[in-house]
Amino acid sequence: MLSLIIRRSRSRFIIHGIKISCNSLSAVDSSSSVLVSRRTFSSTPALSYFGFNYGKISNLNQRFGNYAYSGSSFASSTRSLSSEAVAVAATCDGLTVERIIANQWPILDENEGDWKSHAAAIAQSIQVIKRRLQWKKLLVRLKVLSAELNKSDLWDDPTHAGKISREHGSLTGKMKGVMTFERELLEHIDMLKLAKEENDSELESETLKALIDMRRVSKEKELEALLSADNDPCSCYIEVQAGAGGTESNDWAAMVMEMYKTWAQRRKFSVTVVDEAPGEIAGIKRATIKVNGEYAYGYAKAEVGVHRLVRISPFDSGKRRHTSFAAVAVIPILGDGSTRVEINDSDLRIERFRSGGAGGQHANTTDSAVRIVHIPTGITATCQNERSQHSNKASAMAVLQSRLDQLEMARQTAMNAQHTQSLTEISWGNQIRTYVLHPYRMVKDLRTNYEVSDPDSVLEGDLDGFILSFLSSSLDKDDPEH
Amino acid sequence: MIRIFPSLRLTSLLSAAKPLCSSSPAKKPPQYTSLTESKSSRPTKSLSITPKTPLYLRTPSHATSLSEVWKWHDWAKDLASSVEESSKNSEDTLDSVILHRELKWLIEDSIVDDPLVILHRSEIADNGEKNVKLRASLEELYDLWRQRIEKRRPFQYVVGCEHWRDLVLCVEEGVLIPRPETELIVDMVEELVTRDEWFKKDIWADLGTGSGAIAIGIAKVLGSRGRVIATDLSPVAIAVAGHNVQRYSLEGMIEVREGSWFEPLKDLEGKLVGLVSNPPYIPSDDIPGLQAEVGRHEPKLALDGGIDGTDSLFHLCHGASRMLQPGGFFVFETNGEKQSKMIVDYMMTSDLKDCFSDLKIVSDFAGINRFVTGFRL
Repeated sequence: MLSLIIRRSRSRFIIHGIKISCNSLSAVDSSSSVLVSRRTFSSTPALSYFGFNYGKISNLNQRFGNYAYSGSSFASSTRSLSSEAVAVAATCDGLTVERIIANQWPILDENEGDWKSHAAAIAQSIQVIKRRLQWKKLLVRLKVLSAELNKSDLWDDPTHAGKISREHGSLTGKMKGVMTFERELLEHIDMLKLAKEENDSELESETLKALIDMRRVSKEKELEALLSADNDPCSCYIEVQAGAGGTESNDWAAMVMEMYKTWAQRRKFSVTVVDEAPGEIAGIKRATIKVNGEYAYGYAKAEVGVHRLVRISPFDSGKRRHTSFAAVAVIPILGDGSTRVEINDSDLRIERFRSGGAGGQHANTTDSAVRIVHIPTGITATCQNERSQHSNKASAMAVLQSRLDQLEMARQTAMNAQHTQSLTEISWGNQIRTYVLHPYRMVKDLRTNYEVSDPDSVLEGDLDGFILSFLSSSLDKDDPEH
Repeated sequence: MIRIFPSLRLTSLLSAAKPLCSSSPAKKPPQYTSLTESKSSRPTKSLSITPKTPLYLRTPSHATSLSEVWKWHDWAKDLASSVEESSKNSEDTLDSVILHRELKWLIEDSIVDDPLVILHRSEIADNGEKNVKLRASLEELYDLWRQRIEKRRPFQYVVGCEHWRDLVLCVEEGVLIPRPETELIVDMVEELVTRDEWFKKDIWADLGTGSGAIAIGIAKVLGSRGRVIATDLSPVAIAVAGHNVQRYSLEGMIEVREGSWFEPLKDLEGKLVGLVSNPPYIPSDDIPGLQAEVGRHEPKLALDGGIDGTDSLFHLCHGASRMLQPGGFFVFETNGEKQSKMIVDYMMTSDLKDCFSDLKIVSDFAGINRFVTGFRL
């Protein structure tokens, strides 16, 4: 452990010639110690601080247990310096992330906070990250995977072996990332206290700056941890389907689709319309867009469900208030590494989308849309926005492939059903959000109670508040200890 | 034998009266290269035709303020939306949904910047002062869109290209715009040559190639050893097909020959391994009632198949028996149900009855019996 400290510390540390002794402390199971008050999402759109507010600390008795995974007893290090400055650090047990939180140091603004404030903020982030990664489950899983990897007959089945070692690699990476971050925090604190003792103001301000940097990075890491599920990094399709109610609801479906298009563009995802069935008078009956970019699926999956609009319909001459619905489905486009459903050509029926007339040389049209039907499942896909039939067919095939992949995933992991529903399966009862334009103005998410009083900004694509609050709350829900 | 109306020939020649390309030798159509270097007679007149450059390949030399482009876009959208009301009592109408999509493509083809600056103006905090670079002047864009809607000029002629399979083919008046159905001919050939490498070894022919679509599609699925000869009677088609072949750098695989059906292939009797064609097959009586885009703008030479529409098809059947080597494959596009059956019946009963095997009728994606295929015995 000593070597660890010296290696990771600046040379200054050694020059100071302080005698260092260490205690090996386990990191603390953090997921049990914080209660998140979920109602505290602020309605400000500021992304980087999306409203986590740690109210109560429920577990003041820190547990200094051993870690669940074997062999890597994580060590935090403290010095056995007689230091009256900080009582907690004075002990050989040292300061841990958990203790920092237990200390309930006030978290002040980045600019005015002292080191404790920074440390507390970072420690909180670490706990958030661990919860989002489902830390305990992750460690158990890692143990299982390691055991699996050690089996001598593992490579008899290379596909399985590849899958196991990929997952092991990915989880190890996540685990190490958090551990390193945690260690860095504690080392900075060590360093800072040292600097204070030595009256080394240069070192002190340097370390303080390092803490502030960490505090900023920790917010990004929180966000990353929200999107740590398997398919989160994928691109995706977003589908919107109008509910019953004719033109008003078709218009609503078009508004919802527009909301996603602008949201995606703001996030620098590229958007292409794959399929669009326009309403008779206005709006759309149904549409599919392809959203290309890293983590498009991870974010967009939070939007799955039924969206409800209340307003005075511009299509009603009687100026009455209408309620309409639009269903949203999100389908990940799996990467090359994933196992995809194999489609037999003989299971497909390909049809010209708008047939009729003699066709061939008789007809000149730029419309070459096709519909592909997967006969065994009845799943269909259509594309009409490409300029050749060949490309329309290829795009429709890609949609069909993703739908079948999703069906298969849903079958395999019924647990995560809320993320893997396809449009046909969404029950119209599964309402997730209400948009009220009259008699008052508000958008409210029924799952998280997150609400915004400016519907226009939401309809213009300012959705991140809703998405992030849902993602974090759903991860809380998944955690058995919350 | 297909009937050639002298007047039609004249028209296509007139429309082809463009500056000689000798002034820009780099653009000379490459149709007379490679393969069998000299044999067939090659009329020199088509050398005088320079194919038009499609919009999307033109130099973006027209800087225009964004607000002016938005104004044009609004106007064009309104015009597209108004077509249905204005033509309600006719059967042959424009569809505003399709027109809006075409407008989007027209913008994609004419602007260098991201087309979203035009299509999604509401999200742009710009006041429109900024200049964008266009490949056509704004006046021309007004004119092109008016031609599309008022003159019913096919969209593909408006932008000078047709997206077909994974290709972008130059097209212009005088050349039939390849149809989506015809893509399936290439699919069938692809399936065949994937199944049986033998079909990659020898020469294929695409008769009445028009823009060169099928020939290029087949050359690409044949791979590097492929050889395709594309023929057409129309000098414009010859020039355009040659240009398209050159754009895909397939001069080494495709030879374009001018002449009627098998005439330019006299040196290849009994040697072809595959024969494909989308010949004119519309019965003459149907020509006056064609959709405006087709009837008013596309070359009748490529559409009119005689009284039954089968003149060229019957001619092709006989040619196939003469030109294909044993085991060789053919696929012809037809007018549909009645005609495809006529062709198959003809091949099974006439003096051709012992020439072919595995005669099949294949339908297109609309379920119409569009193609006749078979093998030379």
